Amino acid sequence: MSAIIRTEGLSKTYGRRSRGIEDVNLRVDEGEVFGFLGPNGAGKTTTTRTLLNFLRPTGGRAEVFGMETRRESVAIRTLVGNLPGEFALEDRMTGERLLRIFARLRGVGDLRYAYELAERIEADLKRPMRRLSRGNKQKIGLVQAMFHRPPLLILDEPTGGLDPLVQEEFLEIIGETKAEGRTVFFSSHNLAEVERVCDRVGIIRAGRLVTVETTDTLLNKSFRHVSLTFDEPVDPEPFEKLPGVGELSAVGTSLSFTLYGNLDEVVKLAARGRLINMEYERPSLEEVFLAYYGDHENGGS
Amino acid sequence: MKSQRTEERRPWGTLVALIIHTTRLQLRSVVVWGVALGLLNLLTVASFPAVEDQSQGLNDLVESYPPEMRELFGIGEGTDLTKIEDFLAAQTFNFLAPLALAFFPILASAGAIAGAEERGTIDVLLGNPVPRWQLVAGSFIATALSLLGILVILGLFTWVPAVLMDIDLSIRSTVEAVLNLWPLCTFFGGLAMLCSALFHRRVLAIAIPGAVLVGMYFVDALGNTVEELEDARPFTVFYHYASAIEDGIDWVSFGGITLVALLLVLLAALTFSRRDIYT
Repeated sequence: MSAIIRTEGLSKTYGRRSRGIEDVNLRVDEGEVFGFLGPNGAGKTTTTRTLLNFLRPTGGRAEVFGMETRRESVAIRTLVGNLPGEFALEDRMTGERLLRIFARLRGVGDLRYAYELAERIEADLKRPMRRLSRGNKQKIGLVQAMFHRPPLLILDEPTGGLDPLVQEEFLEIIGETKAEGRTVFFSSHNLAEVERVCDRVGIIRAGRLVTVETTDTLLNKSFRHVSLTFDEPVDPEPFEKLPGVGELSAVGTSLSFTLYGNLDEVVKLAARGRLINMEYERPSLEEVFLAYYGDHENGGS
Repeated sequence: MKSQRTEERRPWGTLVALIIHTTRLQLRSVVVWGVALGLLNLLTVASFPAVEDQSQGLNDLVESYPPEMRELFGIGEGTDLTKIEDFLAAQTFNFLAPLALAFFPILASAGAIAGAEERGTIDVLLGNPVPRWQLVAGSFIATALSLLGILVILGLFTWVPAVLMDIDLSIRSTVEAVLNLWPLCTFFGGLAMLCSALFHRRVLAIAIPGAVLVGMYFVDALGNTVEELEDARPFTVFYHYASAIEDGIDWVSFGGITLVALLLVLLAALTFSRRDIYT
């Protein structure tokens, strides 16, 4: 698979005091849905705006579709549909008028797909922007990013302000986009949706990319929630002393804890008693994400 | 998968689309500015017959003002308020019209880049395959065209009442008077565009050209009577503006000011192409 987005040592600083991103090495392949996670101020928006040449990198390089972002930005943007983090338009404009202008800018003659998208996510194209709520503006933003079927979608917080039904429809559209072989790169705080649609996830922290994994790998490599139920109360102390066991609680005949280490030792220790039930759950992506910002020795990689 | 776009995008298609888009956004402002200034001229023309009856007394009164004050209000040496051209020159075209109307392109140009950054609308627009220089050029051209629209309205509000009131104001004088405002206003629009590109703050893109506008006016006006300012006058736009309604357009000055405006826009495009976009 060819790389649609590739960055090498990409860095952006804002003067001496303000950190942007540092040494970001990222690769997004054709046809994948890539989730970009991080808290506010981590560098997600800086990364996406650098890819679109809104910001000039202070170090490293970035390529989109094999084209260098600084020199060939216009050609890149021909192939990209972008939804900025803070989507704003002129107050008096309607969504329909915006689409017509953007269609003219992109040389798109047929707006049928735009109207189809608008209908699916219930976007009101007739009302001026000043009369739309945040969620309804966001819908217009999604339509303008997607109506020209770009090979690459770059979406910053795409479901912000959307109601659950529209979020669901949006995720279906992302699925269709992937099925068409197109690529999606989006940042989000909605970890449940990232977990659901993304093939790979990158986590950025304090301007640095701390990990890039497939969603499954990330969840599988991470900690587990373990719950053991015995036929009688057991001493929790031996379990507490096992390496990688944390947040242990003993309630009646059950022990619950988070396991960052080897399951084999837990099973061997549990086998000394009469084990009735054992539950062993993967964490949610949210928990994995929080672990990267927490204080655990063995949290993720 | 190929994106949904025509096989061949015309390279200048985006520029034309931007000009049309921006001009449409400015349409309401064109009407407001044109009618507002037009009403001022309409009232001025309408008041001329009453003034004409007392013209000699008025001329004597104006002559009695200190020269510095006369220059500040655009009343030059030998102004004859019994003539409609001189009267309009003194009332609007030499003073109020250029100072007021220059703020239209200043506000428009300040809003084109810096204002769009502050409003957060620039990322959406530049997410399209639009070269940055076309955003600058398109905004400037649209503003220049809108300015012409304002001048047409102003001209109509000046000439039509004169005809209806049987005042001897030629259409040629009127056209030259309003048209002569165009390069001066586009100069300040170009300066505002450069400030908008340099500072990415709308307030600076308005304040700096505004200060230059007022400063140049004062230097030119007072330079006629204040020796220390005399050498600085040629460096002001107003020195080259002249009074077209009385003397016709000086096409060399017209072209020169327009050329400087275009150079300012070129600098703005180069500056904007090289800097970060902040929202």
